[in-house]
Amino acid sequence: MDHEALTLEMRGLREQVAGITDTALAAADGLLIAADTADSIDPEGLAALAAAGLGLARRTAAATSRGALRRTVTYGSHGCAAFYAVGDAALMVVLGDEGIDVDQLHRATRQALHRIDLILTEKAPEKAPEGV
Amino acid sequence: MSGYDLLARSLVACGREGLTGELRVAGAPGGVFHLRDGLVVAAESPGAPGPEALLLRSGRIDGEQWAALVREAGGARWPVAGLIVHGYAGAAQLRVVCVMALQDAAFAIAAGRVEGCERTVGEVGPPAPVAVGEPPGRLLQDASRKLAAVAAMPRPVHPDGERPVPAAGWADGPLTELRGELLAHADGRRTARDLAFRTGRGVYTVTVEVARMFAEGLLETPGPPAPIVVRTPPGGVRQRTPPPAPAPPPVPAAPRAVELPRRSPGASGITESLTPSLAPEKHGASWKGFFRLRNGTSK
Repeated sequence: MDHEALTLEMRGLREQVAGITDTALAAADGLLIAADTADSIDPEGLAALAAAGLGLARRTAAATSRGALRRTVTYGSHGCAAFYAVGDAALMVVLGDEGIDVDQLHRATRQALHRIDLILTEKAPEKAPEGV
Repeated sequence: MSGYDLLARSLVACGREGLTGELRVAGAPGGVFHLRDGLVVAAESPGAPGPEALLLRSGRIDGEQWAALVREAGGARWPVAGLIVHGYAGAAQLRVVCVMALQDAAFAIAAGRVEGCERTVGEVGPPAPVAVGEPPGRLLQDASRKLAAVAAMPRPVHPDGERPVPAAGWADGPLTELRGELLAHADGRRTARDLAFRTGRGVYTVTVEVARMFAEGLLETPGPPAPIVVRTPPGGVRQRTPPPAPAPPPVPAAPRAVELPRRSPGASGITESLTPSLAPEKHGASWKGFFRLRNGTSK
């Protein structure tokens, strides 16, 4: 797995969308893979919550014939927590403050999620040997 | 044409034409100007806290109380009457908050990258409009004056630029409330914009204060961020395969039946034991008999 590419994707997303405060990646079973979170957040617990939340949402989508699950977003008075399925094997958590433009976040994550999925499942195109 | 020029031209044109509607600004952070008869009555941007965030983060009202007011107001995003009636804020204070938020959003949009402007005609009803709208020209003048003021500071800071930390050797002297809060929340992850949201202050106010604190040695730019630790789950990240069907429960060894037992009518003998003595026709306790009695049906 290309750790550097994964890190760049996570940091890049935070730079790209105003209002993202934290991001984390976990396997679909809730085991944390990587976290770019503030000290006030417990990334392991967050990963487990996201896995449970997405699992419940996925079953809800299936039971109500809503098609393939895309994401769940929890809104609070101080911001939101978005859980995205990354392919079939992993998930990504994005926390945002109350200023975040959630539509812009969804647009920005669409491409990033695909690239992260390729990195995680090691299908990303090999870097040139002389690359950084 | 620079992004700012594009914004200025589009917004001033909306004012000249007396637009009632929205001007959506694409970019980073971008935002929306709401206009009524060519005057800007509200502006929203992910780059600046809106009136709701300013009130909630200032601690004047908490999330639960806000939700109750929104319910009371029939779902209105800016429950102004409730805020006044319940004494959370005065009418004049709320007007000031709305004007400040409007000007602050204009500053954030102008300070950022403007990629395009698109107008929508028709009143959409902004959540927290100001009573008397701002002429676009004056609003832009105010924003560019602020941009120039920030740029002219000894240590200029962009709202979406650096992510400061408290300086290692800052003298532990008396601090204003704002400075104390900024030092408490500057963790190397937050820009001036993020600090403005966190503390419930205007992004211009916070940007200027962060710039001053940099200049005075209270804040500094941290070194490169700590690398993100990547852990590979045991067995790697694999596409989820459907779980194998659960093994059938162990069947106790039993004599091999050739076929499943089949029920034969009357095998239990229950019919024979009931019919002679408990035949419904003979007993009033039976339901059938009960109905017959009620309906007066003759046998």
